Amino acid sequence: MKRIVAFLVSLPGLAIIGIARLWQLGPSAIMPPTCRYSPSCSQYAIIAVRRHGAIKGGLLALWRLLRCNPWGGHGHDPVPD
Amino acid sequence: MENQRNIILAVVLTALVLFGWEAGVGYFYPQAKTPTQTVAAGGAENATKPTKPTREGGLMDAADRTLEAKDLATELGAKGRVKIQAPGLSGSINLNGAIVDDLVINRHRETVEKNSGPVRIFSPYGTPAQQFTQLGWVGQGIETPDTNNPRVWTAPANAVLTPSTPVTLTWTNPTGQRFGITYSIDQNYMITAKQTVANTGGNAVSVKPFAIVNRTEKTASLDTWNVHSGPIGAYDGSVSFATNYKDVAEAGSINETGNTDWIGFTDVYWMSALIPSGAKATSTLRSMGNQIFRADVVYDQAIVQPRTAQSVTTKIFAGAKEHKVLDAYEAQGIANFGLAIDWGWFRWFEKPIFWLLTKLFSLVGNFGVAIILLTLIVRGMMFPVAQRQFASMAAMRAIQPKMKAIQERYKDDKQKQQQEIMALYKQEKVNPLAGCLPMFLQIPVFFALYKTLILAIEMRHQPFVLWIKDLSAPDPLHVLNLFGLLPFDPPSFLAIGVLALLLGVTMYLQFQLNPAQMDPAQQQVFKLMPWFMMFVMAPFASGLLVYWITSNLLTIAQQKFLYSRHPQLKAQAEKDAADKARSAARPK
Repeated sequence: MKRIVAFLVSLPGLAIIGIARLWQLGPSAIMPPTCRYSPSCSQYAIIAVRRHGAIKGGLLALWRLLRCNPWGGHGHDPVPD
Repeated sequence: MENQRNIILAVVLTALVLFGWEAGVGYFYPQAKTPTQTVAAGGAENATKPTKPTREGGLMDAADRTLEAKDLATELGAKGRVKIQAPGLSGSINLNGAIVDDLVINRHRETVEKNSGPVRIFSPYGTPAQQFTQLGWVGQGIETPDTNNPRVWTAPANAVLTPSTPVTLTWTNPTGQRFGITYSIDQNYMITAKQTVANTGGNAVSVKPFAIVNRTEKTASLDTWNVHSGPIGAYDGSVSFATNYKDVAEAGSINETGNTDWIGFTDVYWMSALIPSGAKATSTLRSMGNQIFRADVVYDQAIVQPRTAQSVTTKIFAGAKEHKVLDAYEAQGIANFGLAIDWGWFRWFEKPIFWLLTKLFSLVGNFGVAIILLTLIVRGMMFPVAQRQFASMAAMRAIQPKMKAIQERYKDDKQKQQQEIMALYKQEKVNPLAGCLPMFLQIPVFFALYKTLILAIEMRHQPFVLWIKDLSAPDPLHVLNLFGLLPFDPPSFLAIGVLALLLGVTMYLQFQLNPAQMDPAQQQVFKLMPWFMMFVMAPFASGLLVYWITSNLLTIAQQKFLYSRHPQLKAQAEKDAADKARSAARPK
């Protein structure tokens, strides 16, 4: 029972990581690099969700995505601890 | 070596996607490849293997269609029918059972041809395309009109059901209970049926009023993972798309829990549904066998005392799922009726785009032009991004020597090189990359347009120019058979339309203007991509291709304009391209 609950709780996070991985393997692999940051937005999302869970990690990833525009910052921008 | 491996990988992946795509499209978007109007006219072959339904719905089997035409002529020609004449719907009511079983939707044509007949939604019992609604009562110890005992009802002489003239049908049983059904109709697709029992006998009677909608699955439109077509309903206010014909057939009957707001059957474009009003009702979906399904609405048992009457009202929706019409009915109190259009999870961004598109359409009167205007708006919003990017690229020129130095120093350590470049950008406060957000923002627009073209009836049979008569269907002209001059249909993965060709060419030209890539494998991918996308996009709705082509053309125009503003960048780009060509030509 506990394991089922734990699995269900981990699903949203896995979904976000899955989307980010698909993006990296699919469109991102064939398109020119666009991301202004390092690590890239998708890598950032994966690390953030692993480190902080789906909700906080997801919000961090969203915030990063919003900053990744010509008026935003750039350069090295690691996931906060 | 590394580069060669990448190129081989790219080619293999391309081939894999190209052919895997074929299977994928067939699985996920089968409707996308069926041009709206080509209905297979095969004979024996069709009889043995069931033809796949289309987005439009309707009978697929040629024999069924012939039989339907013949049956309709006999059934509708018979006496004992009350005519229905309304702006939205035309047809008749069968007095044998008081069944509404003959309805066509006046505002929508069967095919793209302007003079083709109106779409038929209701067809009498026993015809191949059967679909109808019937009202009745289950009685205890008295004779009632129910589905097992259809009665011959009496209508006033010369009665015609129009928005201004409701029609009341009556039937009286031997024990003195007078049953009445008053049908009224509005300007659109709603028929209101008030069923009354007046007890003129000496004893109290007990009856249970009900309403049913009955239809065949044979005319169902295609049910896909992103557009539902099948049983539909709202129970306690929440709309359920989850039940399919197959589920009902396997279960025999499904009792929906909760109070029924409305229940019925939907296609991509059409729907027939029962809406109990003012009284509590329960509902059931039933499989009647032979691909026939029924949705029942049953009201609570009522005791009717002598010299009193009891009545319930059911609304019957039968028509096209025009968003304005559905929203108006929802505003009149039918819970979540607008959600009968299966927008899915992303309706919060699909609906604003759809709204904008219909607004643009009402300004210019052509959906193709409306799509082009939508593209203009989107590209217009992205213009500052490109402008900013060019300014950045101009600033980059100043730090070019430093860049070269870094590339030289770390040429064996790509990772380190990347990091150092990033650090340099930060130090000099420049970055030539536009970032992920601008691209990310364009995805919802594209998806919304894709979904709108699939399910919005407002887009159905909407022409653009020349040969494009239906923006919601794939391009009908194929390059391989010389636009229909040669008498064969190319295999579907080679069915490249003119629009797809234009897409490939414009994308190729657009990529030509991009700054040269550092990575030769990437360069290779860029050369292949346009032609690859040409195959991928060919089976999609032509409206979607119009959007993409326009977007490419606008991007080309934008790049040209910005290069003309920054002549030094243009010179740089040309020099880079020349360098690339020279290094590529040099033997390794």
